[in-house]
Amino acid sequence: MVDQLPNFGREAEMLKTMGMSSLDDLFNDVPEDVRIIEKLNLPSPQTEEEILADAKRILGANVALGDRVSFLGAGIYKNFVPASVMQLINRGEFLTSYTPYQPEVSQGMLQAMWEFQTLICELVGLPVANLSVYDGSSAAAEALTCAVRVHNRKASQKNTLYVSELTPPDRLSVIKNYTQGAGITLRYLRHLSDGCLDMDSITEAAGSCGVYVEQPNPLGILDQNLIDVKSIIGEDTAFIVGVQPTSLGVMEAPGNYGADIVVGEGQPLGSPMTAGGPIYGIFSCSEKYLRQMPGRIVGKTIDVDGNEAFCLTLSTREQHIRRHRATSNLCTNETLIALMGAMHMALLGPEGIRDLAIRNMAACQLAKTKLLEIDTIALPHVNSFHYNEFIIELPGDASDCLEYLDKKGIIGGFDLANWYPDRKNRMLITCTDQTSAADIELLAAHLAVWSSTKTSGVEA
Amino acid sequence: MSHLFEHHGAIGAGYRQPEPVIPKETVIIPPALARQKAPRWPRISEPEMVRHYTWLSRRNFGIDTGFYPLGSCTMKHNPRVNEVIAQMPGIAEMHPLQPEHHLQGLMAIFHEMQDMLAICAGMDTVTLQPVAGAQGEFTALRCIQEYFRSIGQTDRNKVIVPDSAHGTNPASAALAGYEIIEIPSNSDGRINLDVLRAVVGDDTAAMMITNPNTLGIFEEDICEATKIVHDAGGQMYYDGANFNAILGRTNPGLMGFDAVHYNLHKTFSQPHGGGGPGCGPIGVKSHLAPFLPGPLVRKRPILATDPLTLVNDEVWYHWYHPEKSIGKVQQWHGNAGAVVRCWAYYRRYGYELKTMSDHAVLNANYLRRRIMDEAQDKGLAHTFTDGVPSKLVKHEFTLSLAAMKGQNGIGAMDIAKGLLDKGYMAPTIYFPLVVDECMMIEPTETESKEVLDEFAIRFVEVLGEDADVLHAAPQTTDVRRVDEVYAARNLCLSYPFDEEQ
Repeated sequence: MVDQLPNFGREAEMLKTMGMSSLDDLFNDVPEDVRIIEKLNLPSPQTEEEILADAKRILGANVALGDRVSFLGAGIYKNFVPASVMQLINRGEFLTSYTPYQPEVSQGMLQAMWEFQTLICELVGLPVANLSVYDGSSAAAEALTCAVRVHNRKASQKNTLYVSELTPPDRLSVIKNYTQGAGITLRYLRHLSDGCLDMDSITEAAGSCGVYVEQPNPLGILDQNLIDVKSIIGEDTAFIVGVQPTSLGVMEAPGNYGADIVVGEGQPLGSPMTAGGPIYGIFSCSEKYLRQMPGRIVGKTIDVDGNEAFCLTLSTREQHIRRHRATSNLCTNETLIALMGAMHMALLGPEGIRDLAIRNMAACQLAKTKLLEIDTIALPHVNSFHYNEFIIELPGDASDCLEYLDKKGIIGGFDLANWYPDRKNRMLITCTDQTSAADIELLAAHLAVWSSTKTSGVEA
Repeated sequence: MSHLFEHHGAIGAGYRQPEPVIPKETVIIPPALARQKAPRWPRISEPEMVRHYTWLSRRNFGIDTGFYPLGSCTMKHNPRVNEVIAQMPGIAEMHPLQPEHHLQGLMAIFHEMQDMLAICAGMDTVTLQPVAGAQGEFTALRCIQEYFRSIGQTDRNKVIVPDSAHGTNPASAALAGYEIIEIPSNSDGRINLDVLRAVVGDDTAAMMITNPNTLGIFEEDICEATKIVHDAGGQMYYDGANFNAILGRTNPGLMGFDAVHYNLHKTFSQPHGGGGPGCGPIGVKSHLAPFLPGPLVRKRPILATDPLTLVNDEVWYHWYHPEKSIGKVQQWHGNAGAVVRCWAYYRRYGYELKTMSDHAVLNANYLRRRIMDEAQDKGLAHTFTDGVPSKLVKHEFTLSLAAMKGQNGIGAMDIAKGLLDKGYMAPTIYFPLVVDECMMIEPTETESKEVLDEFAIRFVEVLGEDADVLHAAPQTTDVRRVDEVYAARNLCLSYPFDEEQ
């Protein structure tokens, strides 16, 4: 504690300057009946060494996914962050700065974020990106409310949005919280038995303010139907696509098949999983949405000498200026994590992002092949294209299977009953660039044993 | 200059990856969706990339660079052990969907933080899920909204905010679907009780207020305000942006608040990172607890059937979902990494968090006095006034440069730019809106007396500088005064590749 307070022990001297004798004098304006007299009911202060020892002990009791063979994804993906990224973001000038309100002394972060915007625009195929929102779920929610602001006037289905029925419940819950205040009605887009979008339901969505789908979708399916969506819904309905950004190393940029707004969980690019936060949300759009979009935006400009400079721009959309008429309540965002994303993207380069995507797809493809060899396991969407993940159907409850695998030291995957409570025998298997062939062999071997005991009735 | 997009190195420059698990040629890409054109990303080697970002970092002012008296933002030192801890595998390499027995350590920290924050604010239940102060505000308002719906009071559709409130308050209330009633402050910057009495009614859902307020002044009538709102059936919401000032001296629970948010990136030293990540947990009184977003962490005695864990032999931590939960505001468990950092921070102080607040207030009052005295000595006391008259301030204070603006056209913006030339980050300017030509100064508890003394001298020096010098400031920074109007009129939001080709 003392090591954090440079004026500890010098209070009397400073108080004297103000004609005071006690620290209590500084709180005379707090009404007596709400003053706290007793000590805070908290433990004694610790030294750095003690805190570190406790942290090691307590966090050491976690089972780090990084230490296990793992097939868990479902929105957060095991990735690799190059060492230079981890080192650079700890530079104090980045780490300990605030939102760059004084551009003359904040050119570094401003330029880095302008470059981030460029990297994202190039990746998704749209001309505008902000410098991050909280995460993929708030990005989706903000995109949907933005679509209502832009399109509601002309919409024949007023205050109505269409969201994929596959949207994970926790993400949908965030979307519901963000949209309910504006009196928005959410309707659902259906998917066919092959997991792809039912285009009839896209036809129904024409005339609404916007549609939200994911690519790959939450079941890992790369949906070729998406290239026809924009021509069906037309210019007066926003086509919003949620992406896993690394997939765009091989997949067409959604901006090139008509997406108006592209959002996503930025985490696989540059951010450790960190139990789901802090991560960063990607938000990019076409120019039509620019003045209604949320969040901070950096623009290139000049200083009084005409030299190149950067600053925050279009701030009149924001809460600190527009208050209750702002396009969003966003203030703090995820700049530092977006910076990690920028550094990772910069290092990857145009070929590196392609290689990274191919590694992800290769692992997924190998796992599909290997698991298909197990008689007792079915792959419902075996003929679809997948990125990162796919569903398997088990001869028993996925929760049992996961428990079995856990005892073998494998984090098996995601029990889809968490999303769809009536589907107890389905598991989402996730492979990333970090999944090895040996990991997949190990999973296949154990799944085969577990499944055979289920079908033969003999417990393992 | 160093420009990222002007690096056109070898293919594969930057970061070399292992081969895919099956031959590249055998990977099947859906033909209709195959990417036609690669992103125009740079090809930059690691040494060049490290130098680029190091160069950028040197063009950025952080707390580590120098005094950062940015009012309302609590730019205190960020202890480095917190960063070391946040990068341990037990947090950095955790997946939010891992089963409970993999997460016992993290859940133990969550539990301890829920308790600690509840104790500090006098609240009953805390959720750590909101990832920013503004999201905390929104979350609490959603809880209040569902609470009123649950008791059939669906006509409560108005939220009251003082005109000195942070912009996020009205923006968050609007996002939740509320109408905003902004009420003017008294001439001393405090809440006007007569106005408040006049606006509350059957349609009042909540009042949002920060205390000490954005002028750095403690709302002495807070209990009366709380009573007025409660008597009308409304809820009281405490914006915790200024919580740094009062820890261990008083708390929002004692003042009668029903819900609070905490800015872990202010009071509990989560680094601001150039604009984020933050973390905005909320605490509520028991009547609002059933509506909180889940999951939250609870503990129970360990059972024989529980898997073995290392964190604690007697206790099992488990998730629970409040029964009438509003659902989620973040898909996972919020900014868990920030929670862990702030856990390390609070452990450093323990019950001495009170001393932290004492020193924040000591430093603010001391600096205020030193600036006044110095201005008096140099005959410059006429150039500014208190933002609002007050004997005491809490963790921050405001000055009005209106007098100077009237005398020679020099305003808060010019003084801010002049301070940049002295090697300081400028205070917050033009906020709160209720003070004309406002400068809002918050030194925080982690600045030494010497830094404060020196700043007072330099600040008054700037006040005494020629108008020409100040209009032309800053001169010594990486770029000179930046043209923000040009930026808005000539939008250039990404690298202009076309010009180059």
